Amino acid sequence: MDIFVQQLVNSLSVASVTILIGIGITLIFGLAGIVNFAHGEFLMVGGMATWFMVGAGMNFFVALVFAGLLVGALGFAAERCLFRFTLNRPMNGFIMSIGLSVILQHAVIRVFNEFQKSITDPVGLVWTIGGVDIIAMRAIVVAITAVIVAITYFGISRSRYGMALRASVSDRDTAELMGIPVRRYVTGVFIYGSLLAGIGGALMISLFPITPFTGSVIIIRGFAVSLIGGLGNVGGAVVGGLVLGLVDGLSAGYGYPEWTDAYSLVVMILILVLRPQGLLGGTLGPKAS
Amino acid sequence: MPMTDNSAGKTGAAPEGARARDRLALLTADNASVPLPAGVQAITAILLAVLLIALPWLGLGYRFLSIAITTLYTAIALYGLGLQFGQAGIMSVGHSALMGVGAYASAILSVQLGLGFWTSLPFAMALSAIVGGVIGPPTLRVGGQHYIIITFCFCALFVIVLTNGGTFTGSATGLDVGSVTPLPGINFDKLSNNYYLVLAALFLALAATYLIGNSRYGRKLRAIRENEQLARSVGINVDLHKLGVLMVSGLFAGLAGVLQLYYLRHISPTLFGAFPSLYLALMIMLGGARYLYGPLIGAVVVNFLPEVLNLDPVDSRIAYGVCLLLVILLLPGGVGAGIKNIYCAIAGESETQKQSGGSNGRA
Repeated sequence: MDIFVQQLVNSLSVASVTILIGIGITLIFGLAGIVNFAHGEFLMVGGMATWFMVGAGMNFFVALVFAGLLVGALGFAAERCLFRFTLNRPMNGFIMSIGLSVILQHAVIRVFNEFQKSITDPVGLVWTIGGVDIIAMRAIVVAITAVIVAITYFGISRSRYGMALRASVSDRDTAELMGIPVRRYVTGVFIYGSLLAGIGGALMISLFPITPFTGSVIIIRGFAVSLIGGLGNVGGAVVGGLVLGLVDGLSAGYGYPEWTDAYSLVVMILILVLRPQGLLGGTLGPKAS
Repeated sequence: MPMTDNSAGKTGAAPEGARARDRLALLTADNASVPLPAGVQAITAILLAVLLIALPWLGLGYRFLSIAITTLYTAIALYGLGLQFGQAGIMSVGHSALMGVGAYASAILSVQLGLGFWTSLPFAMALSAIVGGVIGPPTLRVGGQHYIIITFCFCALFVIVLTNGGTFTGSATGLDVGSVTPLPGINFDKLSNNYYLVLAALFLALAATYLIGNSRYGRKLRAIRENEQLARSVGINVDLHKLGVLMVSGLFAGLAGVLQLYYLRHISPTLFGAFPSLYLALMIMLGGARYLYGPLIGAVVVNFLPEVLNLDPVDSRIAYGVCLLLVILLLPGGVGAGIKNIYCAIAGESETQKQSGGSNGRA
């Protein structure tokens, strides 16, 4: 039982990273209408930047903020220089994001190297609660994710900006006529999603080592999460991330670890084929071209 | 697919700028549907055939010929992808998995049953076509980007299955095969003979692409690409045609996979994973899927670029990525479109526009 609870906490912390990337994708794909395959690489870049800054002697939590800002800036540049020009042809944007992901991956290899990087546990505490050992950093990861999820959820569903954003997704032309600067919103969502990826990367490297190829693995999981939950649906992404994270974590502990990656793929194919709008409903993404 | 609104709009309003803009518009215009004169087409085909056949005698060395073989079998798979994307508008970023199905089918037949190259080839090609066809129907319901994501998932899943397949698929280390069964008087262990084998297959793929592109079937596919609802309403069986083109594409991929297997003599799962698939997508976008020689151009550029520029693998991959971005932003029709537009600009607009009535518009 103790082992099960520990597995559960571990899985939750893994699920947190998945949720962060899932929310980023669900917002960018579902609300901004951009399929960004390089999103996993954004996360990886965030992790690598954190590794570099912590290695240079910076406090982890400061590095986390900088990693988020750095990747947010990267997202801004990518949106302004690349995706802006393919908004009317999402297919081309998708192919372009693949190119971007290849570039980022190998740029990181060029700057550092292809070996895995890790940092020492930035908190280094173990809490014992009711006879169960919980690594403090993992609990902190879960808490940070919970705060971000709450901010995002209320931002999208309650705030003025969230409302304007949802209006521009459901009817772009009318939203523009009502004076909503749709393009600026698209850029904003893209930056916010990228920022989350940067923070996710920083949290991820605090949990386990990452390599320059981590991004291409995690992106599949991110897409699975956002598609399970329904595109543009923050709550759905949380549920999807929890389900997938728990299945992943528990299967690594109990089941067949060599098939771990296959689960998210199968789940994703089934959902795309059977319920392209996602299990919990969403915006269906940009109009399929 | 003119991208002129972004790239040319900033040139300015001065007469100089206007002329530059016109020229740029000419270069980025969509000329895929403008047919070239029959003479030009024939001369291009003959020149290309002579060049490719003469290649081993030019004394360019072993390494060059090896890359040429890689280029050619990749191009065969690209012709399949070119049909499904260029003609029918169905893009895939998991295409190397179909190559892998062919290669692994042939290798498993060789290991388990002792079948050679020629006897296993039809089975492997048929299996690739069937897999292409089986994956098609359920996934085609979801259009556009969802379909692309699914193809990527299938590709990743395929690699995981191969890696966990035990001795049957050789796990992560893969499988080995012997050399191509010699025909009377021709020993395929010699590299130049292997080259001609792959070249013959490429000519078949080229001919098939040309014939399909100019047939009623090809016109129907293009109708589906341009407007699916309209195509359906004039009585074209859209689902059947999509299924058909996916199976033909699978056939090409299977052929390419078997050729790859017997050229390398050894295959492993990573050869058919995400990266190879992405490079196939890159090559097709780079070359131009709608042009007869587009896939070949794409394969040549991507395979020879690192060699010509003397790049290490990491730099060459960065270069690929940058190429892909530039092509999509500046030349959405691919290099094939660029070459054709340059030709049209030189030959004079009037001449080409006179003949723009036909539909067999492939350079």
